[in-house]
Amino acid sequence: MTGSSDIAVEALDLAKHYTMGQSIVRALDGVSLRVAPREFVGLLGTSGSGKSTLLNLIGGLDRPTGGVLTVFGQDLARMTREELSLHRRRNVGMIFQAFNLIPTMTALENVALAMMFAGVTRRERNTRARDLLAQVGLGERLAHRPKELSGGEQQRVSIARALANNPSILLADEPTGNLDSRTARDILGLLRALNTGDGRTVILVTHDAALAAACVDRSVTLLDGRIVTEATA
Amino acid sequence: MRFADTLALALRNLRESVLRTVLTALGVSIGVASLVGMVSFGVALQDQVMGSFLRSGVFNSITVSAAQTMPGRGRGRAGGPRLPNFPPPARQAAGDRPKLDDDAVTKFNAIANVVDAYPEVRVPVEIKFGTFSEFSGARGVPMSARDEGVFQDLPHGRFFDNDTDDVCLISMELAGRLSDGAPGDLVGKSLSLGFISAAAAAQALQAGAAPEGGPAGLNIQRAERPFRIGGIVSRPSGPGPGAAMLAAVMIPIAKAREMGGADLANPQALLRQMADRRTYATVTVKVRRPQDTQEVEKQITDMGFSAFSVADLMQNQKKAFILLDLLLGLVGSIALSVASLGIVNTMVMSILERTREIGVMKAIGAGDGDVRRIFLIEAALIGLAGGVFGIALGWAVGRAINAGANFYLARQGAPAANLFLIPWWLVAGGIGFAVAVGLVAGGFPASRAAKLDPIQALRHD
Repeated sequence: MTGSSDIAVEALDLAKHYTMGQSIVRALDGVSLRVAPREFVGLLGTSGSGKSTLLNLIGGLDRPTGGVLTVFGQDLARMTREELSLHRRRNVGMIFQAFNLIPTMTALENVALAMMFAGVTRRERNTRARDLLAQVGLGERLAHRPKELSGGEQQRVSIARALANNPSILLADEPTGNLDSRTARDILGLLRALNTGDGRTVILVTHDAALAAACVDRSVTLLDGRIVTEATA
Repeated sequence: MRFADTLALALRNLRESVLRTVLTALGVSIGVASLVGMVSFGVALQDQVMGSFLRSGVFNSITVSAAQTMPGRGRGRAGGPRLPNFPPPARQAAGDRPKLDDDAVTKFNAIANVVDAYPEVRVPVEIKFGTFSEFSGARGVPMSARDEGVFQDLPHGRFFDNDTDDVCLISMELAGRLSDGAPGDLVGKSLSLGFISAAAAAQALQAGAAPEGGPAGLNIQRAERPFRIGGIVSRPSGPGPGAAMLAAVMIPIAKAREMGGADLANPQALLRQMADRRTYATVTVKVRRPQDTQEVEKQITDMGFSAFSVADLMQNQKKAFILLDLLLGLVGSIALSVASLGIVNTMVMSILERTREIGVMKAIGAGDGDVRRIFLIEAALIGLAGGVFGIALGWAVGRAINAGANFYLARQGAPAANLFLIPWWLVAGGIGFAVAVGLVAGGFPASRAAKLDPIQALRHD
């Protein structure tokens, strides 16, 4: 964790424009936001409001077309492709709505894969993957493939995978979108525990304001690529 | 990312689509097999044609004769075949023309990379064996001929143990006439060689008698010596240079010189032999390797002698074989280039199927290089599998064709021939080439995979 800075994520007049056919789509249009370390921030908004785009920019999956975006003082817009992949590997852990586990790999292999890219030895990978899966409550299901796991279990595997390289920021994009409400509450509880227990910064994207209200420190609502309201819980 | 992990991921990808992997590798192996088959055919052909020459030792030998400085002879050698490396007529006057004598032989032996130098010595003899009697020539054979041409493998008996015993080798033709159907029984028996000592013949000439009438009418000194038959030499099956030293009777060269290589048909030589020192018509110089002939030839011609080697003539043949190999290789690689398109196709499909997976890998920290390497290794592994199997396939098909061809040759009464040779460099080269083809074919799909945009890839179904 690179927690020395007192700002985890800072966006200044951040923009992401792209052309679709003849028209310019302003997915993000001048967003300024500051997230402190250990903060749990919810990004709210309807579909197409730009909340996922913002999350992808922070995660280094995409590049902004304007403004400044720094994560622990590092300017993501200036990074090369290789530096961006290092950022994804070391600084952030991504959790998706569709889980995005590799279907042919077991739970253990899915978690270990993330460490493979970091050059961790096989023995160390397996030990750590086992510990992480136990931590998310799947200590007994290591050898199961995604198909053999329930939605909640799959999301737990994906959270364990996000923690594999011990990132300081967790980015969750509609993690409960495919889950029933009881399971959704469990998953959010897990994220909250990782936030308060381990001291990780969590940024949660969701369209469900009620669900978010139960766990976030602060919620930020976007509409048409701009921040419309900010509320502290 | 560790190499072992990259390799493991690539292997896992291949295992997941076994059928496609196997079919693609099979395509590569057919390509490799055709390439290896073609080249090995070329290699075997070259071995059939050139190998017998090489083993006969003719490539390592230089024939030296006294410089030709005949008065009145023009520069152009009209009519006659132009042989390379014949020196232009020497500038020396007849007086200081170097003599091809024992001193010259000693000098040739001293040249670097020369294995042996020996004069051509023929002794006219009368062969006597029981009631059999025939005039013929006994050829002096150097000990170094042991591993060359017709002397490599005698049908009966063996080569001289040393050059001091009175042992001879006889030709199969002579053996056939001396024995009744069992030439092998002659080994160990003795025949006697009657000859005229050089001194005696020269004296006869000086007395004014013409030798053309043959020795019959002259009262000259005759000598006779018994020789044990050590072995029988058969003529090489094909037309080859191995026959150069073949004669009815062959004796160690030291013996032949002792008996005096006087040629009664050449009174001049006889006289020379008497007047000053013995000279030879030709001297054969053996060099270590065929490559050495040129340098040694140059040194000999610099001494003022004429030198000629078959290696000069074979240079063009060698070039022709290199061209043939290239052509065969080109034909063989057509199948391999088609197979390489198969690899491209398989890799493009594989990457299309895995687009989402590539997106996931990138989202959790895989770099462009990691993704590229995974797919490059995947393609190289297909090439490797195809290469190994292709060599085996090429070998098997080559064996089969060889067996068929030899069956046909045997029915035609021709000797068996090995039509396919797979040397180690062809095995290594074939596999290496297949891997290289895999890497080249995988290069484009792999770099496409590496450049995939993670967000687009994650949205892919």
